[in-house]
Amino acid sequence: MSATITILAQHLLNGVLIGCAYALIAMGLTMIFGVMNIANFAHGEFYMLGGFVAFYLVSLMGLDYFAALPLAVAIVVALAIVLQHSIFRRLREAPMMTTTLVTIGLSILLENAALLLWGPQPQSIPTPFPTKPLSFFGVYTTPLYLFCMAVTAALIVVGHVLIRRTRMGKAMRATFQNKESAALVGIRIDRIYAYAFAFGAALAAAAGAVLGGFIPVEPATGGIITLKAFVVVILGGMGSFVGAIVGGLLLGLAEALGAGYMPTGWKDAIGFFAVILVLLFRPEGLFKRV
Amino acid sequence: MRGLPVAAALIVVALCAVPLVVHDEYFLHLFIVSGVFVIAVLGLDLIVGYVGQLSLAHAAFFAMGAYTSALLFVRLKWSMWAGLPAAALLVGLIALVLGSVILRTRGHRFIIITVVFAELMKLVATNWVDMTRGFMGLPGLAVPPLWIPGIGTIDITAKSHFYYVVLFAAIVAFLLCRALVRSSVGHKFVLVRENEPLAESLGISAFRYSMIAFVVGAALAAAAGSLYAHYVGFVSPDLFNFSYVTIMLIMVILGGKGTLVGPALGAVIFTFLPELLREASHWRMIVFATILIVATLFMPKGIIFPLITHLVPRNWRLRNARAA
Repeated sequence: MSATITILAQHLLNGVLIGCAYALIAMGLTMIFGVMNIANFAHGEFYMLGGFVAFYLVSLMGLDYFAALPLAVAIVVALAIVLQHSIFRRLREAPMMTTTLVTIGLSILLENAALLLWGPQPQSIPTPFPTKPLSFFGVYTTPLYLFCMAVTAALIVVGHVLIRRTRMGKAMRATFQNKESAALVGIRIDRIYAYAFAFGAALAAAAGAVLGGFIPVEPATGGIITLKAFVVVILGGMGSFVGAIVGGLLLGLAEALGAGYMPTGWKDAIGFFAVILVLLFRPEGLFKRV
Repeated sequence: MRGLPVAAALIVVALCAVPLVVHDEYFLHLFIVSGVFVIAVLGLDLIVGYVGQLSLAHAAFFAMGAYTSALLFVRLKWSMWAGLPAAALLVGLIALVLGSVILRTRGHRFIIITVVFAELMKLVATNWVDMTRGFMGLPGLAVPPLWIPGIGTIDITAKSHFYYVVLFAAIVAFLLCRALVRSSVGHKFVLVRENEPLAESLGISAFRYSMIAFVVGAALAAAAGSLYAHYVGFVSPDLFNFSYVTIMLIMVILGGKGTLVGPALGAVIFTFLPELLREASHWRMIVFATILIVATLFMPKGIIFPLITHLVPRNWRLRNARAA
């Protein structure tokens, strides 16, 4: 009896980290969606690039692991700012078909650029943590895992506070709710666009850099991550930050349980089924807007 | 105006002459594959170009058609002549069920659900090993002989023969789509695309007309998939890869969405072009992605169709403009 509970606890623990990562990525995606009205199909590529840049800095340039993580995020954010200025700025007020096709194109572009730069093989970021597992009441984990979990959880809180408690966050939420009124009270919409995009890219890149030590990154990762993040956004309700956080954690836990108790290969289907069910019975998502 | 049927007849004659002129097996192969893509892409143009809904499930319909036909062949010994219509019918029905759920939503949600559906179907093809053999795929599909009344049975396994089957299918698909978009149904497609509230206020159900385009488009994709499966002789979950839907979208967008002729030509050009770029295969997708971004941002009408309308005499242009 207690063995089954231990196994269950093990599966749940395994799901927390990936759930936190989903939450981080979905928060940015929902922000970009709400502010810019763009379903960013290239969003998962920021996760992938965060992982690859961190890998490059640590493995190939010999940088310290703890210095490499923030630097990798900074590099990806710089790239995101360039993309925002060159491409996404033009998508303001563009029809949905245009914005979607452009972000799909961008996703393929970034994936293949990564393929060209780093090759197709999955890469793990070397970390300074000891690999010896820790055991709590029969549930096993590693120092690296605890570190990743702490960082992603802290970033969720930071992101949430930024959105909820700062002037910029307030301005973003105002733009989110009503663009014209926000502009009327003096909010610089173009600046909000740039910040929202950089914010989203930073969260995704941070998730990628942190998880890269744990789950190997490969160029094709971005596409799957984008899809999962969309699943979370639809589950949580498009435009809901709390929904993105709770939805991300739920999906992570559900997938971990699925990986534990279902035949292999089907765990990715859980989120997809959930989306179709939500669409049928509760199209506005599990949580209401903002 | 009078020149158009003559030109069309000349094009058909030229297409019929291809196997007589092209003896290189590889080029003939490219012609056959581009014919298959023409059929699939015409279906996509109905959805994307005419009713204006961005469906990312189209390549999945193609792959499902290929799998249906392949499974009927492997498990029940159905030949392609029975498998192709069965695939079109079954996938059309699946699109009807799927559409009844997802066509009620509009906008981003619709796009995301189509890609989620496509991914789900890939998981089924990969993981339902007892039925689909998973990653190993289904090999050994054959092209059946063709029986023509008055002539008898001919073997069409040779590329130069199978080419005509695909050409015939592509012409039929084109005429079918052309008839559809020129009918009153097609005019309603365009109205739904251009102004949905107006369409609804006139009692034209956006849901119903989107559904017609969605189902017909899916059936065409499935028919194309069935031809492709029997021609290549092998299906695997790779058919569900996202790159297929990307390439089909490039064909439609660069061809000129909502014109049928443009996407059809786009299908031919973008089947040949990647092969010519084979030397730089790493750069191929980067080039394609760049083309897609630039064309979507700066050339919303596409490249190929506007180019033709510039080249052909003006009195044809009027008619094409009206058709578009």
